Amino acid sequence: MRDKKSGQVFAAAQQIGKSLFLPIAVLPFAGILLGVGSSFTNETTIAAYGLARVLHPGTLLYGILTVLADAGNVVFANLALIFALAVALGMTKKEKGVAVLSSAVFYVVMLMTIHSLLVLDGSITDGVISANVKEGAIESILGIQTLQMGVFGGVISGLITAMLCNRFYKIQFPPVLSFFAGTRFIPIAGMAAAVVTGIILYVVWPVIQNGIFALGSVVQASGYVGTFLYGCIERALIPFGLHHIFYLPFWQTGLGGTAVIDGTTVLGAQNIFFAQLASADTVRFSVDACRFLTGKYPFMMGGLPGAALAMYVTAKPEKRKEAGSLLLSVGLTSFLTGITEPIEFTFLFLAPSLFVVHVVLAGLSFATCHILQICVGTTFSDGLLDLIFYGILPGQEKSNWMTLIPVLAVYFVVYFIVFRFFILKWDLKTPGREAEGEAVHLYSKEEYRQSVAGGKKGKEDRKSALILEGVGGAGNLEDLDCCATRLRLTLKDGSLVKEELLRASGASGVIVKGNGVQIIYGPSVTVVKSNLEEWIERGGEDTALQDGGVTAEAQNEKGGIREENRDQEGIRGEILAAPAEGRILLLSEVQDEAFASEALGKGIAIEPSDGSLFAPADGVMESVAFTGHALGMVTPQGAQILLHVGIDTVKLEGRYFTVHVTEGQQVKKGDLLMSFDRVAIEKEGYLCTTPMIICNTEDYASITVLAEGTIYPGENLLQTESHAGS
Amino acid sequence: MRSFEYRITDEAGLHARPAGLLVKEAKKYASVIRVEKDGKTAEAGRLMALMGLGIKKGDLVTVTAEGSDEEAAAEGLEQFFKNNL
Repeated sequence: MRDKKSGQVFAAAQQIGKSLFLPIAVLPFAGILLGVGSSFTNETTIAAYGLARVLHPGTLLYGILTVLADAGNVVFANLALIFALAVALGMTKKEKGVAVLSSAVFYVVMLMTIHSLLVLDGSITDGVISANVKEGAIESILGIQTLQMGVFGGVISGLITAMLCNRFYKIQFPPVLSFFAGTRFIPIAGMAAAVVTGIILYVVWPVIQNGIFALGSVVQASGYVGTFLYGCIERALIPFGLHHIFYLPFWQTGLGGTAVIDGTTVLGAQNIFFAQLASADTVRFSVDACRFLTGKYPFMMGGLPGAALAMYVTAKPEKRKEAGSLLLSVGLTSFLTGITEPIEFTFLFLAPSLFVVHVVLAGLSFATCHILQICVGTTFSDGLLDLIFYGILPGQEKSNWMTLIPVLAVYFVVYFIVFRFFILKWDLKTPGREAEGEAVHLYSKEEYRQSVAGGKKGKEDRKSALILEGVGGAGNLEDLDCCATRLRLTLKDGSLVKEELLRASGASGVIVKGNGVQIIYGPSVTVVKSNLEEWIERGGEDTALQDGGVTAEAQNEKGGIREENRDQEGIRGEILAAPAEGRILLLSEVQDEAFASEALGKGIAIEPSDGSLFAPADGVMESVAFTGHALGMVTPQGAQILLHVGIDTVKLEGRYFTVHVTEGQQVKKGDLLMSFDRVAIEKEGYLCTTPMIICNTEDYASITVLAEGTIYPGENLLQTESHAGS
Repeated sequence: MRSFEYRITDEAGLHARPAGLLVKEAKKYASVIRVEKDGKTAEAGRLMALMGLGIKKGDLVTVTAEGSDEEAAAEGLEQFFKNNL
């Protein structure tokens, strides 16, 4: 049992890793922009190398570099958001788009929840962070001051949203709430979950942050071992965004050392280094300061590119080319700019064990530089650019940079060997080694088993089977989509459509136009669509039909109704469906005296939100106004129904109306009778209010309205009862 | 049986609304009232049938009333057509 569970966690982590390939692809480019741009706009760099004449605020080159650096930086600054979207995209089985949108909602709501709580507890007052809060603990993300959680916040958003989407994308509600069912429920549920997650993180995260902060004093006290620990901890915290709170005190406060340079007391490793860089009196950079700065060069410039090469050579031959372009760019980014997120996130989730190895080697890297007394400073990360500015150009005497070169070479080889060894030993799914479509295959198999188990799922499959059979089988399908109420299909051959099967599947209407078919199910159509898609993927049409013998069953049902109708003479009560989608109006609310006074008969009206008019019941078209705006039909039960689209729309003389039926034509409930251009009609100054009138009201004992609010075609709207009482 | 002819002057013809009013008017009388256009006849009591005639502006229609109050009916309906159509 435990084995199985850890296997699932492992599989999930791999899936996250794969999800991140997409955003990782953009990172090298952003990294180069950021690296080049910020190196050449760094004030200290410009001052130290006398570039101020060509590079200062106001020059064109400075402007260009600033824009480049900012463009690159904004990608990294919002990496968590990008990961939130990418993880949702990759972890969701169906309705991926919905998950991505919901994850964005989740992420911002979560950030804001934490922000609100921070304001309430006084950590932030009028946008100013309280002095009691540790530096690096609160940061502005997307303009929201919130707890610094790095990409962890984004991954959490993506994971929870994907989980919600996988679980609830087919949820069904009672008709009143049906608009919010299915995929539309996901962002709503996500919002609620985000508030809860935000509250939990608000409580838990500061505790973790304080713990990390406390680690700092241990490091300071313990020499080379301390430097090793510093390197390990800093690397290990990167995925959680906790590294800032850890290293910033070393870089910026007395924890990282104190020095008097040119008569000024300077606190913090990075401050000391830059003060020494700017000072003309510096003979040798401070080793005590640089133990917190230099250690990243070996693994960033040497190690990680070596790891990239290891992944490249272990990739499957047929995938080596594709994986190669990714690995080359992420390796090069690390080497040139010291921006390691692209390569680290390439293997962090796919092979967490490799990341552990990486963390240990990073610690050793810091310790090695400390022991060898290499002192190369850094602005934000340790790549070739920083090495040139803060190691090579200051000179060997100050920085001892030449000693760094063999260390880089050794690290390159060590990383290559270690990574290659573990990738092969543990069969890690690094880029180019993933099994094709494996995850997808597993899911569908499991779902297939569920469906065989029957129950509700079986019923849904029957429905899907009917639809598929009704449109001439999966082989006849070219495209499958849906709108608010209809399944929209494009077929190879529209003549293969069997309407009776589609109706038996619960459709309230079927419209066939050439090779396009629209099947109307009402707002639950998103669920129907999802089920059908899965059904097609499983390719299980035959089994379901055999199981229930649905085809025959459905035809019997249909025949039964027909006979019933034939037996009846005279007026019978019946239920009429809504002929259009929209808001229900009582006749008294219709802005036309003739309808409002019920002079034409009792009935109901719809303020349509869509330009289609459907048959409210089976029947015969008795009249079609030559102006196209009004239709009359008679049902087998004897109801004379007038459908009148719009108020005074007779004056449009047929413009914007397209009638799809002719007088005397037999229609079935849900057939498309007429299309109208709602927007154009309203633009001409007419209301589209559509009354449905029972013209022979006097033949009935009562006519009752069954619904209110918003209604969709095919839903029950009006009930007639005959005098005989039926 | 009484009858009269009337040429429709209303721009929109005998569309749903006036047809409905015509039905209401026709039901005031006991007589059977029919509207004829181009050889097609519809009972004035049946909205669907009236609409089915597709009566437009300029069409000549013949209205007949047959029954106990046919005189009053013909008069009333002629007035109705003049006022509404």
